[in-house]
Amino acid sequence: MFDQGLAERKTAMTETKISARNVQVFYGETHAIKDVNVEIADKTVTAFIGPSGCGKSTFLRCINRMNDTIDICRVEGDIHLDGEDIYDARVDPVQLRAKVGMVFQKPNPFPKSIYDNVAYGPRIHGLARSKADLDEIVEKALRRAALWDEVKDRLTAPGTGLSGGQQQRLCIARAVATAPEVLLMDEPCSALDPIATAQVEELIDELRARYSVVIVTHSMQQAARVSQKTAFFHLGNLVEFDDTDKIFTNPEDPRTESYISGRIG
Amino acid sequence: MSETHKSLFAEDARTKTRNRAERRFKAYGIVAIAVGLFFLLALLTTIVSNGTRAFTQTFLTVDIALDQTVIEEAEASFVKTSKYKAIVGGALVDALESAGIATEMDEATLLKILSESAGASLREFVLSNENAIGGTVSFNFLTSSRVDGYMKGRVVRADLERDKNLDAAHLDLVDQMVEAGLVARKFNWDFIFGADASESRPEQAGIGVAMMGSFFMMLVVVGLSLPLGVAASIYLEEFAPKNRLVDLIEVNIANLAAVPSIVFGILGLAVFIQFAHLPQSAPLVGGLVLTLMTLPTVIISTRASLKSVPPSIRDAALGIGASKMQTVFHHVLPLAMPGILTGAIIGVAQALGETAPLLLIGMVGYIATNAPDGIVSGFMDPNSAMPAQIYEWAKRADPAYYERAWGGILILLAFLLVVNLGAIILRRRFERRW
Repeated sequence: MFDQGLAERKTAMTETKISARNVQVFYGETHAIKDVNVEIADKTVTAFIGPSGCGKSTFLRCINRMNDTIDICRVEGDIHLDGEDIYDARVDPVQLRAKVGMVFQKPNPFPKSIYDNVAYGPRIHGLARSKADLDEIVEKALRRAALWDEVKDRLTAPGTGLSGGQQQRLCIARAVATAPEVLLMDEPCSALDPIATAQVEELIDELRARYSVVIVTHSMQQAARVSQKTAFFHLGNLVEFDDTDKIFTNPEDPRTESYISGRIG
Repeated sequence: MSETHKSLFAEDARTKTRNRAERRFKAYGIVAIAVGLFFLLALLTTIVSNGTRAFTQTFLTVDIALDQTVIEEAEASFVKTSKYKAIVGGALVDALESAGIATEMDEATLLKILSESAGASLREFVLSNENAIGGTVSFNFLTSSRVDGYMKGRVVRADLERDKNLDAAHLDLVDQMVEAGLVARKFNWDFIFGADASESRPEQAGIGVAMMGSFFMMLVVVGLSLPLGVAASIYLEEFAPKNRLVDLIEVNIANLAAVPSIVFGILGLAVFIQFAHLPQSAPLVGGLVLTLMTLPTVIISTRASLKSVPPSIRDAALGIGASKMQTVFHHVLPLAMPGILTGAIIGVAQALGETAPLLLIGMVGYIATNAPDGIVSGFMDPNSAMPAQIYEWAKRADPAYYERAWGGILILLAFLLVVNLGAIILRRRFERRW
């Protein structure tokens, strides 16, 4: 019922936003990501699919250096954002994360008001010069996350009191409010019901107009619905990366084919 | 359906055993709680029944005409309080006469009914109320601890046979004075707010000065152990690299929490008094020693509550570009606050009731007779602390002090209750819905 032909929409090929070369990730002794090369385009939705434990989330967390918070994690290789190496010693991960926003699997609003949830990013990054400015940023972010109409009358209510789908959209609004260039989404719909999922998917398609969106998903239908490019990960390897249409209709690698047809994973 | 049919209404053997085991376990639990409650109740009733008596004291009411010339004469003499005592004695004789109580005792023997402090307290009143001279003022004098004991049922006539101070005749007189309304038991505020007295005057002793000592010590403990402990735990939990050295520090903090408190006392003696030359018996030193003792408790509980903040909150903050410090101070710390406060209160309550380390820095055995006059004096001047004062009273010979020790415990418990109440209120304020 959600298959509204989103995937058939023409991919407007634009310049490369993120390019990863020979990326290796180790968790202690475990080699979690093996030699991944990928070019992620601007203003495109790129989906990472693959069975559990294949490394797609790990790779996603490399893009905004969230893996830095894990002590035993080690990343090798280059990841460039607009041609700049994000693992360069001069890069402050805090600045990087302001540019590369992230939405997590489980909705994780702060136990604060809806307004404060969205305003937190702009506040710490000094994006608003006045209260009116901030109000405007919050409203814009909530509108962009398709949540404004539902919450405009109760901005001071706690964010944790919203429904699961609303909470996830609040998290998207929070990520959008800091004006990022890339939006990473780690299975954003896995905790949501079909209706909320549809709303978030619709939202992702709209966000494509401004951001480069990378989404990790377990649902192949979702990947097919929302993305223009799809990468298939298997056992830490990037098996295949191509236009979504091609991956789902005519994959080159036999492993991709068997995963999509439900034989592995 | 090949097996034989088993009815759901009949318990099979296994279910029976399991149910029996469960019932047994429940019974054990109930017995354990009942035993605990019994001891708690026994403890509370003993404390309350023994302690409440310390809050009332027997007073003798006399009207004294403050004559200008008599007072001037008393002030001019060498031992001033004895002259004042004579004034009280004269007034007492007059009072007995006007109440129609006949006695053959002389003034000096009559005065044994009153506390030794009577003369001094009259003088104190005269000096601070010079306007009252020339008029007649009604005074409430403390009676001696024997008379007070008699009124409370602690002392009977047989006890006085070998007593040098008081005879059975005095008690007969007291009975008559009670009937005439001259002697009565009243609530004694001086027990709560007054100073400690010498061994021979238990009726005059109060816990107030020791309470001030405890209060200033707690200021030091809260002011030092909370910021130090919280800062140390935040660093260890959120920032410190995971290596051998940090592991070693962690193990040692856990060990410190189990070190006997008297060890901290001797450490305080060596470091703060002998090395740093801080004054002996000062609440500042007591507070420092108790801070050392409280720190491990605060650190351990703070770390536990920081750990219990879900990682998704940290991810959320880091994910929108908050720095580590912003993440901790804006999100993690407020969420961990209820737990931190609980730990801090447990630590402070422990410190409040601690006696052993105070032994070694001279706060036990110090007779707290002078209230501190000002904040610096409160920290630096020798003082006692509530548990030390209670210990001091309990070991004095006079049974009147034994009663005061129980009363002191009641006040200490009330203090703890207030501290705990404060903690609960603070926790409520910080508690948030997830």
